[in-house]
Amino acid sequence: MLDRERGWSVSFAGCGFLGVYHIGAASCLQERAPHIIRDARHVYGASAGALAGAVLVGGGNLVQACADVMALAKEARKRNLGPLHPSFNVIKIIRDGLMRNLPENTHQLSSGRLCISLTRVSDGKNTLISHFNSKEEVVQALICSSFVPIYCGLIPPSFRGVRYVDGGISDNLPHYESKNTITVSPFAGECDICPKGNSANFHEMNLTNTSIQLSLGNLYRLTQALFPPEPKVLGEICEQGYSDALKFLKENGIVSDSIYIHLSFTKRNPHEAAQPTDHMKKKELTDNRVETLKVEVLSDQLKQNPQPLEMSIFESLPPRLRKALQEACKEQNGFYAQFSKLFPMRVISYLMLPYTLPVESAYSVALRLVNWFPDMPADIRWMQEQLCQIAGTVYSQAKSKLFCTSRKDNYASLRKCQTVPSTVEFHSSYCQLKMPHSSADLETWLWESSRFVHSAMKSASANTQEHSDLNLYPNFLPNSDESGLEIDLDSSSDTSFQTAPEY
Amino acid sequence: MAEEETSSEGLGWLFSWLPAWCPTSLLHLKEAEDKMLKCITSTYNKQYVYISNGNKIWTLTFSPDFSHKTPLVLLHGFGGGVGLWALNFEDLCENRTIHAFDLLGFGRSSRPHFDTDAQEAENQFVESIEEWRKEVGLEKMILLGHNLGGFLAAAYSLKYPKRVKHLILVEPWGFPERPDNAEHERPIPIWIKALGAILSPFNPLAGLRIAGPFGLSLVQRLRPDFKRKYSSMFDDNTVTEYIYHCNVQSPSGETAFKNMTIPYGWAKRPMLQRIPQMDKDIPITVVYGARSCIDGNSGSTIQSLRPNSYVKTIAILGAGHYVYADQPEDFNQKVKDICDSVD
Repeated sequence: MLDRERGWSVSFAGCGFLGVYHIGAASCLQERAPHIIRDARHVYGASAGALAGAVLVGGGNLVQACADVMALAKEARKRNLGPLHPSFNVIKIIRDGLMRNLPENTHQLSSGRLCISLTRVSDGKNTLISHFNSKEEVVQALICSSFVPIYCGLIPPSFRGVRYVDGGISDNLPHYESKNTITVSPFAGECDICPKGNSANFHEMNLTNTSIQLSLGNLYRLTQALFPPEPKVLGEICEQGYSDALKFLKENGIVSDSIYIHLSFTKRNPHEAAQPTDHMKKKELTDNRVETLKVEVLSDQLKQNPQPLEMSIFESLPPRLRKALQEACKEQNGFYAQFSKLFPMRVISYLMLPYTLPVESAYSVALRLVNWFPDMPADIRWMQEQLCQIAGTVYSQAKSKLFCTSRKDNYASLRKCQTVPSTVEFHSSYCQLKMPHSSADLETWLWESSRFVHSAMKSASANTQEHSDLNLYPNFLPNSDESGLEIDLDSSSDTSFQTAPEY
Repeated sequence: MAEEETSSEGLGWLFSWLPAWCPTSLLHLKEAEDKMLKCITSTYNKQYVYISNGNKIWTLTFSPDFSHKTPLVLLHGFGGGVGLWALNFEDLCENRTIHAFDLLGFGRSSRPHFDTDAQEAENQFVESIEEWRKEVGLEKMILLGHNLGGFLAAAYSLKYPKRVKHLILVEPWGFPERPDNAEHERPIPIWIKALGAILSPFNPLAGLRIAGPFGLSLVQRLRPDFKRKYSSMFDDNTVTEYIYHCNVQSPSGETAFKNMTIPYGWAKRPMLQRIPQMDKDIPITVVYGARSCIDGNSGSTIQSLRPNSYVKTIAILGAGHYVYADQPEDFNQKVKDICDSVD
């Protein structure tokens, strides 16, 4: 797969809050096989995948990104309505996080290498953006790629004057069909790095290029993508990303599996855990092999005498990432936090929702309005344009429809008198199929009725336009494309039915 | 052995309105298959092969003149048919006879009633393959099976080892046992488990038939990848139409498959338990897609279970479960190499 001459690419799937999976996978790639990202021709990404790709290629800090995602998830879970609460402004949090995390020269680092999948609002087509002139442009493209309509807001953001929304809507896993693309997806399915579910089901669905196995685990993951689970569960997803990436590296012979041998060795000999290990010393060790061994020993120890839960998880992750996750998983120990978690308090807070929500909404709307001021003229202009366009299309559609019915009627009567045998053919073929209702009947019924309407219209208003149409009839008949096409169609259906019994 | 078109009869009043709900029929399927095979330039015979109980097996035969070489027999997977091999026929038939047939209960073959017992149903499948072989008059064959076809090919080789010269398992279904380490998996909320429990008594593709006239667009929406896989051959929705018409007919093979599984998707009678009993002279090659969600470990497990026999595992990069359609060139080349190693 990692062919030096032909090069390779890495593609990250869009997945909302499951983006922590990408962080886990990316930190594994960075740690164990840095050349995979460093020498990759392109790093593709949609939505959360693009964020991960930008941090990887654009010189950001993965640990910081992980902490940001965890903070975002916690923010989303803070209120009763979760991420749907009006005061949760996901776009602003992402933008601030990216501005903090990405270095000033990030556009130079990522130009030509980072490809962000975007969906153009005007026609719903996919665009890949890979060249950036400034850090602001990178961030703006990432914001566009992460903008899930309605969930994130109503007015789509613009990039270089064009409105875009979430890339996952049109292409969630860019360039996945290429043989030398390493695809990363947090959904169990047909990807190079993805969780292998506890299911042998080979049925799957394909959502804008991301293959998703039909399993209960994936259904759960889909619900988690926009409605984040507890920090601990997110941490486990991150860890899963790390171990899946490691498995991929191992299967492709990119890293040796000596580490794994050591792990299984310690697992088989739990009595070795008797050695006392210093918890603080563990973090200073850099040698991977020794470290995993010690961590394993530590976790064995933990199983024997229960300690705080968050120490025993995330053990396979690199120390800094692990620390960030553990930090995020820490419960707030303040009095208020404890108090508000009590069951009666939660019930009361839900009961109070009808009263508190309007106040909070009004406050957040005001806040958003203030933030909106700089973009307001452009957005309003855009909305105006959209409205005009919609009105225009409705008008032209209505017009063409009216025009069309009269035209269709002309063709219909024309067809009827020209190709009578074809309808007979239709009838016989459908009888063969034992169709209880013949669609040919339906067609004639439609023609009949439209003709009726047409004649009624004609009698009501002798329109000059229609007169001219009627005058066209004789000229139109002998050598028109449509009539020729029809004859063709009939003859082909003739032959196909005649040849059928020959086999 | 002549082709004939008979529409389903005697299904009673209840089913008489079904064609109106699902716009399909054997004729539709025939047309869809003809469209699938339209681009194949090499000549081939197509015919029904009649087996016992009035069942018939729809068979395609390519380059029948190579009688001195062991023919290759292709068994398609669940929900498929002969048409899905459209990208492979021409390459594979260059120097060898190829037979491909619709499994009993699938595609254009008869759709009989299968026994509800897993072992009995499997036996019915295996016997239908054996009767087909007798009728066609093959002495020995190279058996290639994808997905369910792989499972059946292995089951056939267990029962009739003398007839199989080489067994090629492409992404075989039903080999590993269902693991019972439930604590390893992350906990799943109750409501999702309940949903799974509600859906599990239904046939895997029941939703497609329930969707009726919307079924075709449902296939197109959920599996746009099929169109892309075959895009070198067709620009339109030929493949999705073919798959749709293959699967909305009365579910016979599908029900049998359902009875052979335990949730979710695991085999009731996993093949890895039985593979050590296989004749040790039968060489096995396991081909799997590197991206597939079916575990490629089966190959190495088979290897360890048959220490004295030839077992080889081939991974095809950039391919998913439908290896032969994802990377047809690689797949055809690998299969040809295997066949050439036979004779």
